[in-house]
Amino acid sequence: MRIIKRIIFLFATVALLSGCSTQVKNPEWVINEVMVVNETNFVDDFGQRHGWIEIYNNTAKTMDLGGRFLTNDRNNPKKYPIPRGDVLTRIKPHQHALFWADGNPFNGTFHLNFELDPTKDNWIGLYDNDGKKLLDEIIIPAGMLADQTFGYAQDGIKYNETGTASGVLLERVTPSSNNAILEENPKVVSLQEDDPLGGLLTVTSMLVVFFGLIALYFFFKLSGNIAKSMTQKKVAQSGTLSAVRSHSHLSGEVLAAIAAAIHEMKEDQHDIESTILTIHQVKRNFSPWSTKRQSLRELPR
Amino acid sequence: MNTLISLTDNLRTFWSYTGFYNAEPGHLVMILIGLVFIYLAITKEYEPLLLIPIGFGILVGNIPFNEAANLQVGIYEEGSVLNILYQGVVQGWYPPLIFLGIGAMTDFSALIANPKLILIGAAAQFGIFGAYIIALQLGFAPNEAGAIGIIGGADGPTAIFTTSKLAPHLLGAVAISAYSYMALVPVIQPPFMRLLTTQKERVIKMKTPRVVSQTEKILFPIMGMLLTTFLVPSGLPLLGMLFFGNLLKESGVTRRLAETARGPLIDTITILLGFTVGASTQATTFLRVESVKVFAIGALSFVIATCTGILFVKFLNLFLSNEKKINPLIGNSGVSAVPDSARISQTIGLEYDPANYLLMHAMGPNVAGVIGSAVAAGILLGFLY
Repeated sequence: MRIIKRIIFLFATVALLSGCSTQVKNPEWVINEVMVVNETNFVDDFGQRHGWIEIYNNTAKTMDLGGRFLTNDRNNPKKYPIPRGDVLTRIKPHQHALFWADGNPFNGTFHLNFELDPTKDNWIGLYDNDGKKLLDEIIIPAGMLADQTFGYAQDGIKYNETGTASGVLLERVTPSSNNAILEENPKVVSLQEDDPLGGLLTVTSMLVVFFGLIALYFFFKLSGNIAKSMTQKKVAQSGTLSAVRSHSHLSGEVLAAIAAAIHEMKEDQHDIESTILTIHQVKRNFSPWSTKRQSLRELPR
Repeated sequence: MNTLISLTDNLRTFWSYTGFYNAEPGHLVMILIGLVFIYLAITKEYEPLLLIPIGFGILVGNIPFNEAANLQVGIYEEGSVLNILYQGVVQGWYPPLIFLGIGAMTDFSALIANPKLILIGAAAQFGIFGAYIIALQLGFAPNEAGAIGIIGGADGPTAIFTTSKLAPHLLGAVAISAYSYMALVPVIQPPFMRLLTTQKERVIKMKTPRVVSQTEKILFPIMGMLLTTFLVPSGLPLLGMLFFGNLLKESGVTRRLAETARGPLIDTITILLGFTVGASTQATTFLRVESVKVFAIGALSFVIATCTGILFVKFLNLFLSNEKKINPLIGNSGVSAVPDSARISQTIGLEYDPANYLLMHAMGPNVAGVIGSAVAAGILLGFLY
């Protein structure tokens, strides 16, 4: 019963710890960058300029946008069905798809049947294949200037630490490419600045290594104690010599001498001994642990 | 006359394709290193299962050829056979498969019976981070320093896995360095073991470990995996496969799978890994000042790991009663060169007391070192990748 209580306590602790994270997860598909008025910017395959919507695959796997719905009308989630069967809608991990908001759906898969209006807030939603589950949404504020884009400073990072959407007017217009251009690994750069000697990382890492292995130590210490006590109980119930040994700290030789004396007394064999009984411990001189074959072939010099 | 000119031209063209024509001093140096590896493996029997494939791989990788001819024979030429085999190293899927085999052949009983030995495996990871600090001082970037530091874990697959992510350009140097020093563990560790221990400490006899029940052996991989990977998810490929392999072994109902993992599978991957790592040391990419620095830091990392393991045991002994004291000669086994460093504990222990068998005790920190270095690798990946 005590063991079960301990196990329940352990699982409850783990469950509590796992529930500590309150961070809001970024969606798998993110409406990453939007241009409402395109005057001198990116040109489509027909040589025309229109507003555009960039969608970002925020996962580590290739995903298909085909069959999903893009809309700018909350009451009409299925406004633009993204055609199925186009290989170009299969978006690789952390890559982008660009849709032209030109109201010309017959120009191709990536041309929407609606346009964006700079005079009012533009709500844009991406719905799943059922047209019910909202995958992502964004509101582009009214009054966007020409050739200006609204989106997220870092690709796919929609929510900030407080869990609110962090859309901003972007400094650079980057259709179908990364919103933030990373020249170097930011982790490495920050370590170079904050921890040039490496001491901080060393201490942190060693603490984690020790913490992990200490957790294992405690678990196996506990399970070992449980296993030992269970074995002792079983042996004690068996009523053999091993049972006595498991409860006492006497050596095998001492127990053998006591057992011999009890046997002699019970059997009434000898009152006065004519000889001295010597008990030799039986030793196996060879074991896999002592064999030279398991050891080094040559001694280090 | 024209025929003679054509023949001469043909022979000249052929000559320009030969290894003799394209050879550079670097190729010859590398071929010499490959021959030394093969020599050490055959005559000294230092890690022959690794040094033979690596040594021969070095020979293959350093056969000079006309790189401009696009013959698709070199390991760095996309689409070549060697390049395809090398993807297992570059993409990092050979090391986890090796770990699967290691898990299926490792008996963690010594560790389960005396769990405090786990902590020695943790202490020895100072080798990794000590080397990280040194590498930073020598001008390496943090990600490169992390890749070099992992040599101190004395674990070839872990070193390859980590370096392939953090600093792929150092892969050859790190892998060769890690495996070379693992093979040289019998030479590197003993002087420091003697230096840091007293005569009295070297003859400490440890209590025979208790017998571990099957249930405990089954619980070990399950709980080990859960505890370590919840803490360091970036170590999942290595730790997950290690503990999975061990569960195959200990569950008692998947004997065939365990035998495959610890037999044909690990042998196949060892051949491919060793050979392609060796072949990746093409002189043109390998022979650089950086590689020499990597080798020097690698040696230091082994020394640091050995010393910290031994000193940590001495520190632990301050808190342990006489009958529970640990022989510091097993401190060197915290590095995960399994089972070589444990064998060294045994050999050195026997020198001072012919009846003191330390191997079974040393196997505890030794396998803990495997777990510890995989955890450390996960931490480095988390911070630097």
